Amino acid sequence: MAHDRDRATSPKRRREDDDDDNHTGSPPRKRSASHTPPNGSPGFRLAERPRRYSRDHGEDDREYYRDRMSPRSRSRSHTPSRSRSRSGSRTSSQRRSASPQMTPPPPKPTQLHYKQSLILRGHKKGVTSVKFSPDGRWIASSSADCTIKIWDARTGALEHTLEGHLAGISTISWSPDSKVLASGSDDKSIRLWDISTGMAHPTPLIGHHNYVYAIAFSPKGNMLVSGSFDEAVYLWDVRAARVMRSLPAHSDPVGGVDFVRDGTLITSCSHDGLIRVWDTSTGQCLRTLIHEDNAPVTSVIFSPNGKYVLAWTLDSSIRLWNYIEGKGKCVKTYQGHTNNKYSLAGAFGTYGAEPPYEYAFVVSGSEEGGIVLWDVSTKNVLQRLEGGHSEAVLSVDTHPTEKLIASGSLDRTVRVWKETVPPPEAVLEAVAGASTSANGYDPETLPSNTFTES
Amino acid sequence: MNLSLVDPFVLAQDCPEVITGRLREQHIANAPRAGSGHSTSIRFSHRGDLLASGRHDGIVVVFDIETNGVARKLRGHTRQIQSLSWSTNDRFLLSAGQDWKCVLWDLKDGSRVRTVRFESAIFIAELHPKDHMIFAAALFEDQPVLVDMSAEVPVKHTLPTAPRRSQTEREKATEKQAAQDAKQTTTVTVFTPSANHILAGTNKGWLNIIDTRTHEVLYSYRVTNSLIVLIRMTQSGRDVVLNSSDRIIRTFLLPDLSNPNLDFDMLELKVQHKFQDLVQRLSWNHVTFSSAGDYVAATTYMNHHVYIWERGQGSLVKILEGTKEELSVLEWHPFRPFVAAIGVDSGRVWLWSILQPQRWSALAPDFVEVEENVEYIEKEDEFDIQPLEELHKRRLDQEDEEVDVLTIDPVKTNAQHEPGEFRMPVLLDIEASDSEDEIVAVGAGQFRRRSPGAGKEYMNDDEVGVSGDEVRRTNGSTTGGTKRRRA
Repeated sequence: MAHDRDRATSPKRRREDDDDDNHTGSPPRKRSASHTPPNGSPGFRLAERPRRYSRDHGEDDREYYRDRMSPRSRSRSHTPSRSRSRSGSRTSSQRRSASPQMTPPPPKPTQLHYKQSLILRGHKKGVTSVKFSPDGRWIASSSADCTIKIWDARTGALEHTLEGHLAGISTISWSPDSKVLASGSDDKSIRLWDISTGMAHPTPLIGHHNYVYAIAFSPKGNMLVSGSFDEAVYLWDVRAARVMRSLPAHSDPVGGVDFVRDGTLITSCSHDGLIRVWDTSTGQCLRTLIHEDNAPVTSVIFSPNGKYVLAWTLDSSIRLWNYIEGKGKCVKTYQGHTNNKYSLAGAFGTYGAEPPYEYAFVVSGSEEGGIVLWDVSTKNVLQRLEGGHSEAVLSVDTHPTEKLIASGSLDRTVRVWKETVPPPEAVLEAVAGASTSANGYDPETLPSNTFTES
Repeated sequence: MNLSLVDPFVLAQDCPEVITGRLREQHIANAPRAGSGHSTSIRFSHRGDLLASGRHDGIVVVFDIETNGVARKLRGHTRQIQSLSWSTNDRFLLSAGQDWKCVLWDLKDGSRVRTVRFESAIFIAELHPKDHMIFAAALFEDQPVLVDMSAEVPVKHTLPTAPRRSQTEREKATEKQAAQDAKQTTTVTVFTPSANHILAGTNKGWLNIIDTRTHEVLYSYRVTNSLIVLIRMTQSGRDVVLNSSDRIIRTFLLPDLSNPNLDFDMLELKVQHKFQDLVQRLSWNHVTFSSAGDYVAATTYMNHHVYIWERGQGSLVKILEGTKEELSVLEWHPFRPFVAAIGVDSGRVWLWSILQPQRWSALAPDFVEVEENVEYIEKEDEFDIQPLEELHKRRLDQEDEEVDVLTIDPVKTNAQHEPGEFRMPVLLDIEASDSEDEIVAVGAGQFRRRSPGAGKEYMNDDEVGVSGDEVRRTNGSTTGGTKRRRA
């Protein structure tokens, strides 16, 4: 294999080697590190960010908003004849000039306007993972303070605090029916929680020899895949709480695991720089993806349609891989956030109009405390959510149906961001000035909430 | 989604090759096996993710094929399970037991929807493909019935057994023949996939096609002189395989029965293939079609093998082996080259499938599998040192293709669950309720025999009112008992 391990230290020792910030040598700090680490580099300015992504679409912006303001473009509904099937090979120019005799399709938005709507306080240590439940009703957040909190996604009311783990929790995953939450902890166990009662299931899943880093439920809810600091990927029979299969996966801590939407494939990634794709039924490795730079991969998810995998690496990049074609190919690199130290996790979201004109974005936190949204195809930054979190945002998730984003940060808060329609003037200003507005955190818009006040 | 990545040679295989294991029922590794878990009947669900297994002690166990573990246990029968049948949406399961009962189970909560008692033993009970509240059953020394369970009290319609005779035959018929016709009983009933007709086999070797609505025999054909053991059809409903006690397996091609222009009086069935072992004179325990009907598989009496014939040429293509016991019921997975069969002695469910070798080229992107040695030719610029920044920039600029991460391709396999379709809930406490074994673990390495009678209260219940959940709860609080049979 192309990568040589020059450091043969034990995972434990490497983990304690905290001062070494060079990502190629040491794995990142654990998400649920029990101390609150110092803020990465507070002197981050928008102006310092590379301009390559925002420069070339100023004109598009203006075109979009002019179009949007004209009354003609208001009442658009796509006719059946125009609802063609989307294929990956279609280019954006084709999309814009679909059919000249009909009204042009709604232009692709170049900006999004998410605003903070809730602050959920209550965790005593950094929040390591936030997840919307598949039915959209709940937000679960796990923390280094050994608890999981279940919040109502609409009101922000605290529903349950799940206590039982003996060490910080790095990862959580909802069962597809939203009734069970699984959590992986530094106490080496995976626990299943009944959401209706808030109680832990009596038999935890025990088998990992080290911190559990990542877990994911299968789409049917009968299996669970887990990745651990002990470099193993286990496939669990959830009903029997036993290891069904151990995947001889990696030679470094496993940072992320995920199931594809029909459950036939598993992906896992590791700090050895590999992303592997596995056949669920046979446990065989079907594909290995590796980037030339060999940066540690800390988190990986499948795209909503299962054709791509999205992987976070510690060189401040998020890469989208086409794992099907050929030997697998990196098709997109999203940059503009900072990620050298922590396992960040993010999600896919959608924006735009109804399905034929629906577009996808990638959202991820940043170690500066911001949240960045990129368009999947153009790699343009659609929005930066700043002024909210004061420390690294470790986990971001999108609501399954609504335009909501939840984020959890080392500053111990969970924040919910909601898409708003900006007033037209503000839009024009935003277009005239740089794309820096509309991100500000506005305390007046926050509802008074007894649960969320500290 | 994995199909695009799997070796095409593996995908092209449609016939199982080797024994790959057996279904696990017990997870307590140290606990001695105590005679329970002896399977007598199995059936795959239509989506192929579940396998129902009826046991000797009357418990129906639903296995998850993906996890190879127990997904649900259904308690309600007191005797061995004779046959199982899934509803088309895989939510309901009909079990027929040797306690002369048929039970319709709702897998959503494991409850008994209906219990139907009969006056005699049941050979086979098959659910209507379109209405899970209707089933057809063949009874021992009795006329077959079509049972409508939609009302609280089930309605049983008797189906005819006597073969249909033409006018001339009827006139010529002697008293003896009429008496013989009256004495015939039906041994097997199967719905066609369209549910408009029922295929029935009799103990005198007649194959009857019965109209589901009018309950009349539309067509009769004497296949053999001996008893018909089993009839199976393919998904299309055009192919029939028939096992009879004369040691010959026959396959037929059926016309499109739902065609309104079809004249049953003019219909003439022809045997397509006859599979038999002329040398050893083997008789066949159970037959099944492969998923697409290309193969016919059969287990053999007093023999440890599964024979597989290919239907194009009618030749024997494979003999599956690996067990040290005779095999009884055999089932082919609805779309995979995957076969399950019950061992007669142990009652275990054995599985055969194909082995997929690990492709080494998948382990690293620069690995290539080659047939022979290849001399590597270095590219001109392979070891050129280029400025990192530039390389990086060039790489990013190349990423200009449009990607679509949202559109879901329509899938071809029928394994997919449509959104909104029934899915069996995942029970987390299945192991805790898995306690009908006679010996229970009470601590680390300690076992005790359990108190007799406990945990078998359902045997005393008199049917309908009791749902499976109540039974489960009583089982959870008490611990099971010995095999007490009702006298």
